[in-house]
Amino acid sequence: MAIDDTGDWTERTLADARDALDEGLFPLEFFHDEQLHQLEMERIFGTAWVFIGHESEIPEPGDYARRYIGDDTFIFVRDESGEVNLLFDSCRHRGARVCRAEQGNTTHFRCPYHGWTYKNDGEAAGIPQKSKAFKNLDREEHGLAHVPRLETYEGLVFASISDEGPSLEEWLGDFKWYFDIHMKLPDGGMEVIGEPHRWVIDANWKTIADNFNGDSYHTAWAHGSVLDLELGGEETVGHAGTGDSMDRHIHCDGHTTSMRGFEDEDVFMTYPEEVVEDVFSRDGLSEDQWQVARQALSFTGAIFPNFGFLHFGDTTDDPDKDVAPFFTIRKWRPLAPDKMELWSWGLAPKNAPEEFKQRMYKMYTANFGPTGNFEQDDVPIWKGITDGAKGQFAKTSDFQLNYQMGLDWMSEMDIDENWPGPGFAYSENLEEGGMRLFHEQWYELLAENPRENALGSPINIQESEDK
Amino acid sequence: MSRQDSEPDQLPNQDRDAELEALLVEREVRQFLYYEAKLLDNRKLHEWLDHIAEDISYRMPRRLMRENTADTYSEESYYFDEDYGSLTTRVKRFDSEYAWSERPPTRTGRYVSNVVVHEDRGDELDVESCLLVYLSRGDSADATFYSGRRYDTLRRREDGSFEITDREIRLNQTILSTDNVSIFL
Ligand code: FES
Ligand SMILES: [Fe+2]
Repeated sequence: MAIDDTGDWTERTLADARDALDEGLFPLEFFHDEQLHQLEMERIFGTAWVFIGHESEIPEPGDYARRYIGDDTFIFVRDESGEVNLLFDSCRHRGARVCRAEQGNTTHFRCPYHGWTYKNDGEAAGIPQKSKAFKNLDREEHGLAHVPRLETYEGLVFASISDEGPSLEEWLGDFKWYFDIHMKLPDGGMEVIGEPHRWVIDANWKTIADNFNGDSYHTAWAHGSVLDLELGGEETVGHAGTGDSMDRHIHCDGHTTSMRGFEDEDVFMTYPEEVVEDVFSRDGLSEDQWQVARQALSFTGAIFPNFGFLHFGDTTDDPDKDVAPFFTIRKWRPLAPDKMELWSWGLAPKNAPEEFKQRMYKMYTANFGPTGNFEQDDVPIWKGITDGAKGQFAKTSDFQLNYQMGLDWMSEMDIDENWPGPGFAYSENLEEGGMRLFHEQWYELLAENPRENALGSPINIQESEDK
Repeated sequence: MSRQDSEPDQLPNQDRDAELEALLVEREVRQFLYYEAKLLDNRKLHEWLDHIAEDISYRMPRRLMRENTADTYSEESYYFDEDYGSLTTRVKRFDSEYAWSERPPTRTGRYVSNVVVHEDRGDELDVESCLLVYLSRGDSADATFYSGRRYDTLRRREDGSFEITDREIRLNQTILSTDNVSIFL
């Protein structure tokens, strides 16, 4: 947005956003704007539930990992009593960082500046020469600061730096029905393998959010090289809207997932029979969830604002080898309007055979992460979008990006009336409603409205029925 | 040679003939590594594959950052853990007109140095080297670097050349400052 002295910049920007959203558009310039970035940090990342890590990354007392919410650095640490904490990494004396490594194990964090030490639950344990120098200082009040809110769902730890707002339960809403399928299908749950991949790319975080919120349309083209090589079946990478697969785009309480599957077939994301038989369990799932898992070949999805996942079957690193599934979760951490750090984890069922878990990790790196045969080709594209957004032309020409696919006056769309899960499911994947839903929530939070105001696409379908 | 061994390498011994022999071998190895670097810089990937043994293990573990040790690599997480089939697949992928990350190809310069032949078993040699890669992409003056050490096992071939049967790339970076790794190291 151009800055001028007439009227309030934020208000005008948001009014522009509202107008664009109503049309299924989004201004290109929003992908590279310093003021919007500041607003996003304050109103989205300052309030939202943000993914921190999985409990299996810090299994033992004293295990810790440095983690971030927006620009804030925290220590994700399991204390001596086994509790998981998220401590603000800033010494209570004069603010020095007390955690230096990205991961490790310690009973205490020692400040390098003047030597205050803290237990791994944050409590101030030692203040050098306290009786002389700080005789009236209350130790209780000078522990490392805990993040205001920290909650865990199926081992996935989320935090909010705001002390008020919806609980994690409310934030995830009924979307848990879908994510449960990933986390609870294996008896004993999922665990993280090793350490996450981290890489910094010159792209705006909303580009990847768009991609994970149901961009089925890009797959066959952007990943045409994977299709050319027949790495996995045609169905995995195939053209959206074609083929015999059962394709669903699902929106539920602000989060989205795209599913590709086969009706009435035992697919189970191509997990091998012994894993399906010995490790998968109906115990944690309803019959409907089990049936969805059974027929599913692959899932992509995103939890608002910056968590994404892929659970793919039918992939390989070599067309002469058998296909196998992989499961990866990720977060995108905005660093600037044109910069983000990607964090990406490979997971596997905790109780699966070791060799199979390694194969799953291999499938993850063959396809996603910085070396992935898919992902290599995504990132430069997102960078290009950001690059195009930074100049004058995007502003002066009012350049709007098109997200109209799936709007009732643009596409032929059906909703699957028999869909067993919560939210609603489009009967196909040629639609961009997940991105519109993401943008609408982005807008509502920037406008300081409740996130639930964002309804996504059904509103358009409803309106067309009323007309 | 232990991959964990981070002790400084031994100084050359005083046996002149043995030294000369070792020097010749070292020169051969260096010439091969320079040749390989040039193939990769020119993206002659199929020609590069000609020097990859069919029993190759090609790995690039994730560099960790720990408080007490300077040299730690993940036992579980990696960027590459390739065999001949998956490496060939990666090479073939770049032949596709849809491999957008390398259209146009990245411009790279590979600098190979600090070459040490740790063990010469006649038919196979264990070699350590340093690698610095300058990489520039797109219509931009921006560049990124990869820096690290490589631990190779080279096998002598009948034509006098070498093939790589084992390579572990140990990058210095924990957090990569790159869009992706669309090159071979
Ligand atoms: S800043 Fe930490 S002890 Fe002074
Ligand atoms: Fe993609």
